[in-house]
Amino acid sequence: MFGSHFSAGLILPQPGLSEAQADPSVCLTDEAALVPEHGEDLRVTLLVEENALVAQGQPLMRLRQAPGAAIVAPMAGRVARIDLAPGRRLTQLVLFHDPDGDRYRFDTADALGGEADALRVLLHESGLWRAFRSRPFGRAPGPNESPAAIFVMAADSRPGAVRPDLAVAGREEDLERGLEALGRLADAPIYFCEAHTFRHQGAIPANVTRLQAGTRHPQGLAGFQLHRHFPARIGAPVWDVAAEDVADLGHLLASGYLHSTRLVALTGDALRGAKLVRCQPGADLRGLAQPYLQAGPHDVLSGSVLDGRPAHWLGPRDRLVTVLKRGATPQRRHWFGAALARAAHNAPIIPTAALESSMGGAALPAAALVRALAAGDAEAFMQLGGLSLVEEDLALADYVTGARPRLANQLRSLLDRIAQEEGTA
Amino acid sequence: MRRGLWDREMVALMLLMAMMPMTLAWLWFGGAGAFWRLVFTLFVSGGWHIIFMLARAQQPSFAGALTGIAVAMLAPYDLSLFQLVLGISFGSVMAELVFGGWGRNVLNPATVTLAFLGFGFPAAHWPDFVLPVSWAALPALAMGVIFGVISPRLILGALSVMALAFIAGAPVAAALPAAAIVLALLVSDPVASASTRVGGWLNGALYAGLIVLFATGWHGAAPMQIAVAAALLASLAAPLLDETAIALWAARRRKRHG
Repeated sequence: MFGSHFSAGLILPQPGLSEAQADPSVCLTDEAALVPEHGEDLRVTLLVEENALVAQGQPLMRLRQAPGAAIVAPMAGRVARIDLAPGRRLTQLVLFHDPDGDRYRFDTADALGGEADALRVLLHESGLWRAFRSRPFGRAPGPNESPAAIFVMAADSRPGAVRPDLAVAGREEDLERGLEALGRLADAPIYFCEAHTFRHQGAIPANVTRLQAGTRHPQGLAGFQLHRHFPARIGAPVWDVAAEDVADLGHLLASGYLHSTRLVALTGDALRGAKLVRCQPGADLRGLAQPYLQAGPHDVLSGSVLDGRPAHWLGPRDRLVTVLKRGATPQRRHWFGAALARAAHNAPIIPTAALESSMGGAALPAAALVRALAAGDAEAFMQLGGLSLVEEDLALADYVTGARPRLANQLRSLLDRIAQEEGTA
Repeated sequence: MRRGLWDREMVALMLLMAMMPMTLAWLWFGGAGAFWRLVFTLFVSGGWHIIFMLARAQQPSFAGALTGIAVAMLAPYDLSLFQLVLGISFGSVMAELVFGGWGRNVLNPATVTLAFLGFGFPAAHWPDFVLPVSWAALPALAMGVIFGVISPRLILGALSVMALAFIAGAPVAAALPAAAIVLALLVSDPVASASTRVGGWLNGALYAGLIVLFATGWHGAAPMQIAVAAALLASLAAPLLDETAIALWAARRRKRHG
């Protein structure tokens, strides 16, 4: 495949993960929390109260829009605090870890039998449903949504990301079982994207198409793979899911228990070195990073240096934690410069080779897409394939061009507007 | 959050740096006259940027210096100061600043200035360049391509059409030095040229094609006049070329993905 080897992108500094780190240790933090995704409006019905003892994998709340779908406990422990905003919108549910806690067992007999509906119920019940992300719009799929295609991502080109083969190393059978289950879930093509430098060694079911993603960022993001192989459309949503979550599904089907950890990379210039750990979903980021920190002020981001957000807890789909040194306080500007910056329009983005590479080279007309975003031109945006993208896909372009307002935010507001107009939100 | 390099002012600075071989060669051979002319055009162009900063809160840009350099080098040389001020003011204000500054404009302000001066004062004489200045356009273009601020496709498109015309025996040799300088200073402006890949090829080819056409059919025109007219028409057509390229891209994708 010429396309994957010669496709454009940027070579980003990847702090090497040495051999010693290749076998990551399990590190469950004392606290963990369930939080909504950034910008997600998560209205829930609680199933537990504060101070209740819960088992790992036990459903803690159900979604109001989809009473079948549950959100489950990432670890065994005690419910420490539940913060709800008005309208029963989840802000956070904090758990204290209990090392001697139980594990919740799901009934998987029906789902193993091959019924698509039973599998769907199991996914809802175990909270794995929310591991999928549906495009256009980049949210968890609706309760009755059927995908037009599913992309399983065993590649990630973000700076410092987990080496893609490590997340499923030793779990090849689980992954294969999970992929088979996905094939039963929907009558849709399934693509397995792997980095062409780290091919998956285990077996892959015959109905799964293998794709190779380039190693340059942003080629290893689901958005650009979708854009190239199966663009998302309104009415034909395309899902993407991490390979590790598919292996978790395979594990759940085989054993009835939810896998308890997730492989997470810790990176950033405020750490003594990059580190891989296996921690629970929703882990406490400060607890996770604390053993490896250098002295001095720092910021903890859930996500990569490009698309991460300052956070206390590991985000629902994040597998990367970046700890950055806090820069020196910015120098005081002259009053005239500050006033001008406030009054002026933001400087536009000039189409350069840097912009083009940061948006995947020939994959899409970058300058035209940037213009459509800035103008809020939904029609041109959809024609240029923008519906396959979510915020993380434009994070590199944001970084490279220093765009203000951020392209990712422009993309989100345009996507929200399109969703509202289409009546799917 | 960390921010990368390639904001508007960095692109403008990189373009300025890329133009340096040509500008310095021109100053070297032009002497004090060229120097004061450059100071004057920079002053007028910068003045308009400051006026727009104070009146409209538009951030001034180093792109104003690019306009100054291009006008100082390419404008007819026997114009009075008033005529020059009029030309730069028209080009800077009407082609760039009223649109909201560099990056939001459609045409290169220097191209518009030169076209305005050419149409308005047709008796004025267009400058000729000594050969080293024209040769200096090559390193200028190369630096622009290496920095990523000039589209290599545009240059290759122009060069290939020019080479074809040369092989076919069209009388383009006299227009070549001026065409190379204008290609570097005006046509390759990343804002005013086509931004898509196919569009870049077409834009370069169109510019060179117009040079060939004018060199063959426009008798009595100075090489610089030919080059400026070709640059104006090529950058007027750039949005159309981009639209064409995007339509082709969309058609190809529709065929592939249904």
